[in-house]
Amino acid sequence: MELKICHLYPDVLNLYGDRGNVLAMKKRLEWRGIGCTVDEIPIGERLPLSKFDLIFIGGGQDFEQGLLLDDLRSGKGEDIRSAVEDGLTFLTVCGGYQLMGRYYETHTGEKLPFLGALDLYTVGGEERLIGNFAFETEYGPVVGFENHSGRTYLGEGVKPLGRVIRGRGNNGKDGTEGARYKNVFGTYSHGPVLPKNPEFCDTILLTALRRRYPSAELEPLADLSEREAHDSVLKSLTGE
Amino acid sequence: MRLFLAILLCKLSRALLRLLGRGGTALPGSLALRLCPDVVARLARRLEVVMVTGTNGKTTTCRMIERMLLDAKLDCMANRSGSNLERGIAADLCANASLTGRPRKRRAVIECDEAAFKRVCGEINPKVVVVTNIFRDQLDRYGEVTHTLGSIRIGLERAQRATVCLNADDSLVASLAPDAPDRVRFYGMNTPLGDGGGLSDAPRCIVCGAEYEYGFHTYAHLGGFRCPKCGYSRTEPDVAVVGVDALNADSSAAEFRVDGEIYPTAVSLPAVYNLYNAAAALAAARAMGVAPETAVKSLAHIERGFGRMENFELGRARITMILVKNPAGCDRAIEYLASQSFDAAAFCLNDGTADGTDVSWIWDANFERLFSGESPAPKTLIVSGTRAEDMRLRLKYAGADEGSVRVIRGERELADALAAAGGKVCVLPTYTAMLPLRAELASRVGRKEFWK
Repeated sequence: MELKICHLYPDVLNLYGDRGNVLAMKKRLEWRGIGCTVDEIPIGERLPLSKFDLIFIGGGQDFEQGLLLDDLRSGKGEDIRSAVEDGLTFLTVCGGYQLMGRYYETHTGEKLPFLGALDLYTVGGEERLIGNFAFETEYGPVVGFENHSGRTYLGEGVKPLGRVIRGRGNNGKDGTEGARYKNVFGTYSHGPVLPKNPEFCDTILLTALRRRYPSAELEPLADLSEREAHDSVLKSLTGE
Repeated sequence: MRLFLAILLCKLSRALLRLLGRGGTALPGSLALRLCPDVVARLARRLEVVMVTGTNGKTTTCRMIERMLLDAKLDCMANRSGSNLERGIAADLCANASLTGRPRKRRAVIECDEAAFKRVCGEINPKVVVVTNIFRDQLDRYGEVTHTLGSIRIGLERAQRATVCLNADDSLVASLAPDAPDRVRFYGMNTPLGDGGGLSDAPRCIVCGAEYEYGFHTYAHLGGFRCPKCGYSRTEPDVAVVGVDALNADSSAAEFRVDGEIYPTAVSLPAVYNLYNAAAALAAARAMGVAPETAVKSLAHIERGFGRMENFELGRARITMILVKNPAGCDRAIEYLASQSFDAAAFCLNDGTADGTDVSWIWDANFERLFSGESPAPKTLIVSGTRAEDMRLRLKYAGADEGSVRVIRGERELADALAAAGGKVCVLPTYTAMLPLRAELASRVGRKEFWK
């Protein structure tokens, strides 16, 4: 077995250690004897989506967002929308997660059209939502670090990835965090999110693997350091 | 009258804190600012000030400039106590003043936090400003690199008479050059050094957004950059490292070119990044009127700053402490660690406000390099701090055997473990992890605290 990962826009979407997510996926496959390749596709390069099993998009700086939107308009956007409908697996974090939505409305009222692959939108806020946070998912409680000024609201047909235990999540109001649509996983969680949340990481890997190898299984790993890192953050948040 | 009271109260409260055995400057400085909000401007007015800001290297660059001024018989004060926010600067300026506000020393070398620089630079109206570099740093506190850049730019606009010393190799810093060429001095590295690796915080042109081309790299986004689209490019520096003869565990030897003259120079600090700091300090000292032939000699006896490559001999262990704050600085420390084959290494990760509450940056630093076989990985690996578990997880994914990484809490226990490890020991703490550990090590070797 082999999983082909695409790290999209690592040149501009590379904040907050999100490349640790790619490292976590790669290592967890290798430790099980499963091959893994990672291709980095920067701005301006063609994106052969059909070549890949999993697309990772991280968060970035506002300064670079304009460049990115131009690149998406040059055809990548259309490809990504159809790949999502087709069931390709995506992990998108923070800025990358927002980008999958319909638009971003700045706090001055300007609307930037985004990819529109997921029925969700984001509105810029004054106060940044910053801090360690935790949310409950079907893969257990996930811990991470959020740092965003955008407030994201989910439309019909898009499920939240989880329910906030401590912290703010999508918008600080409705208790939702992240989004699930077909095989797309979207979250505000940095940290990076995958190393400290091995069940979540393995769910994403298995989703991607099974599209190519329907009977694929992942054997359990010891996950000693993973669990301790996870539990120490959860404990500091909940006091339990 | 307000000024008199501010200085008086600042001195009294500081003396009181010291009697209690504490070296704090935040409270005395805050008191002075409360009583006299323009205390910094009023005390700095009678001084010739060099201000140093930027992400990494501020403290060491200040120590170098101070040494160069003192060796040239130019008396000067410095905010050595480590607080580089307005309140700390206010406290140190008060300490240097008589009760009527007359300065004891006529010059000052002031380290200033990048975010605070926006405001403090206008207050101080410095004679010389040095910007060391701009890297991604504590995004929860400083925001994105362009935000830091904007803050420094506003500060510089308020220093209309200053000679501005800029890192020619840093495309972000170099873009700060004011439209007054006679006030700009560039410094940089004319030779490709370091590994050229690491994550770039500025891959794209700050002017037009196109991807830079590089003639050579030093590290991270530093090097001979050029934008193929708009032509924004590196300026040939006035002070340049033109050759490196030796990079030892404790020192370096390099050739500096200052205004066309070449000076073979011994630098009493190791690692490539200290050559950058040395070039920055030479540019600043030159702008303060120090002759280059004097200034380069000072580089042979630079003291190690607080927790910056500081050494402690403890039992059979020779401990080197390197403060790390962000991926770029951490990569430099790892580069040094990997090049010198240490017997033990400890990583102390805290997530206090001064460290950055977001510890995800450790995943942007290249810990893999420790296990790449370049030199044997340290036999003993220790993690500590409020986020020790995150640090151990990072080491596991970098290639460490998780069972062999020890988690140790508390500075006493940690100091014991370092001493017991013996041999060459390297400790990489974040800021708030460094303070108690340094105090513990300093007391064990009988070293004085910084304020004594």
